[in-house]
Amino acid sequence: MFPIMFTVIFGFFFSGESSGSGTVVLKNYSQTEVSKLFQKSLNESKVFKIDEKTSALEARDLLKKGKISGIVEIPQKFGDLAPGSPKKIKVTLDPANLQSNAMLLGFLNQFITSLNFKVNNVQPVFGVQQEKTNSSDLNYFDFVLVGLIGMALMNSSIQGVSIAMSRYRENKILKRITTTPLKPATFIIAEVLSRLLINIVQISIILLIGVYGFHAHIYGNVFLIYVFGILGAILFQSIGFTIAAVSKTTSAAEGMATAVAIPMMFLAGVFFPIDQLPSWLESIVKFLPLAPLLRMIRGIALESASPFLDPINIVIVLAWIVVMLIISSYKFRLSDE
Amino acid sequence: MESIIQVNNLVKKYGRLTAVDSISFNVQRGEIFGLLGENGAGKSTTLEMIEGLRRPTSGSISILGHNPTSELNMIKEKIGVQLQSSAYYEHLTLAEILDLFGGFYPKHLKSGELLAMVKLEAKAKSFVGKLSGGQKQRFSIVASLVNDPEVVFLDEPTTGLDPIARRNLWGLITTIRNQGKTVILTTHYMEEAEILCDRIAIMEKGKIVAMDQTHRLIASSKHPFKINFLVGKINKEIFQNLAELGKIKSILGKSDHFEMRLSNQDNLNKSLKLLQDLNPDSFTVSRASLEDLFIELTGKSITQEENA
Repeated sequence: MFPIMFTVIFGFFFSGESSGSGTVVLKNYSQTEVSKLFQKSLNESKVFKIDEKTSALEARDLLKKGKISGIVEIPQKFGDLAPGSPKKIKVTLDPANLQSNAMLLGFLNQFITSLNFKVNNVQPVFGVQQEKTNSSDLNYFDFVLVGLIGMALMNSSIQGVSIAMSRYRENKILKRITTTPLKPATFIIAEVLSRLLINIVQISIILLIGVYGFHAHIYGNVFLIYVFGILGAILFQSIGFTIAAVSKTTSAAEGMATAVAIPMMFLAGVFFPIDQLPSWLESIVKFLPLAPLLRMIRGIALESASPFLDPINIVIVLAWIVVMLIISSYKFRLSDE
Repeated sequence: MESIIQVNNLVKKYGRLTAVDSISFNVQRGEIFGLLGENGAGKSTTLEMIEGLRRPTSGSISILGHNPTSELNMIKEKIGVQLQSSAYYEHLTLAEILDLFGGFYPKHLKSGELLAMVKLEAKAKSFVGKLSGGQKQRFSIVASLVNDPEVVFLDEPTTGLDPIARRNLWGLITTIRNQGKTVILTTHYMEEAEILCDRIAIMEKGKIVAMDQTHRLIASSKHPFKINFLVGKINKEIFQNLAELGKIKSILGKSDHFEMRLSNQDNLNKSLKLLQDLNPDSFTVSRASLEDLFIELTGKSITQEENA
């Protein structure tokens, strides 16, 4: 449930769908072609939401309150090349809002520069060719979306399994099952498979909301996303069984599961790239179970990269699975003896 | 009668603690057999060893001709187990739980049939959490019948229930026996064991201290007769004469209420004559109860507190 809520929330904040940098009040007092062109291109840039109705006085008040990002005023007769007509567009900004200020000023400067070139009939000689590290168009929401898939798998498996199993034990459901001819292995396999089925639904919902609701960019092989998602779910379930095995009560299992999952959520790269951590810390957290998993799924989803090219991530995940399975198969028992 | 369970010199040790200390008994087909004792006397441990849930430290068990340590799966198909204070899935309805558990057996009864047997058919779509204490316990018992077992194990089936709900359960347990099933139950309620069980083994600190048919067990008391009486004034002379005929004591330290235990009919008759002279406000003559025997055997009264 939480990961789905997070998907929607992050979608609204970061998917770049809404006019992310806020509202700009535009007052165009000029009737010239140039001023109309400016008005049109500002509207079409979609960087800002353009509000042309609010009065200049009201807008100043809104700016002080931080409700809008800036005011752009085009003086009368701007763009009229006659001498004495105003040559400058007036911008009022809230100094606290650095990011949107830079964007608005950048936009204005670019417009004015190209206008100057045009007026003087000059072709620009030098320019900047922009290239992203990635040929594709990615934003923070795409990064977080994959993180949220990992988080969903981790929470539902670690907390889901450990709490359910210790509750079943506390309620003697596990013991009751051992009085029937059902084999313990059959019971465990059924539990694991039914949860994996739920995991597939979870991954699907998050991807659907992300891609269709908020235009997230998924470039890679969707089938591989599921395969590695399931691999991660198996890992997290084995952690869940281990926690259920070592904790005596349901509340102990709850505490332990939270203590494992929450730090991992922040340290293993759900919301932030872990290479932003101090290098000593990064060299530790990159081995946490969630970290290699997210590296692989991000690689698949965002860069169409094959996780098999650099198998170290697969090795880390498999090593965790083996370790957790060994501990839980020794420790986890349906009955008391 | 055919013996369906044989237990020989059964021992269960946990470290230094001997929970079950070399007990032996047989259970006959079609009877209600009761293991009676205080909390911690070893009743549940004994039951769970027969069910195959715990491994005996030593001794042998045979149930329906099978050994629980080596032929557990054969046994599991033919027995029904109700665990002490067991719960079921909270997110499944009663019918779903019965169908689920039924699915664990090669042959099983229909959930509707089972629920009708305990008058819970109206609750088929309810959750366990919505049931009253008595309904929960009835459900828990009927859930142990999904595979139409030959032997039913009930671990303290009535603990924590009010008297009416308990009586309802006694009726249910008798019905189960009348279907030809063998019932083994544990209890710490004397009255329950006395009314319900055909045979009783009294356990104390891991040992069986007495075992017989219920009425014979009670008759084996050294003081099978009992007089209860209330007197306003105490006549010392008559009291001394009474004391020579049997054991007399005031009940819970009250100054006017007494209980007298007698070993034979003759002394009973003599005592009744003496009592007439005392002109008691009220008096009752009765047979010793199972509880009296229990106190006689163990030197203490059974704890009525609930199993924590």
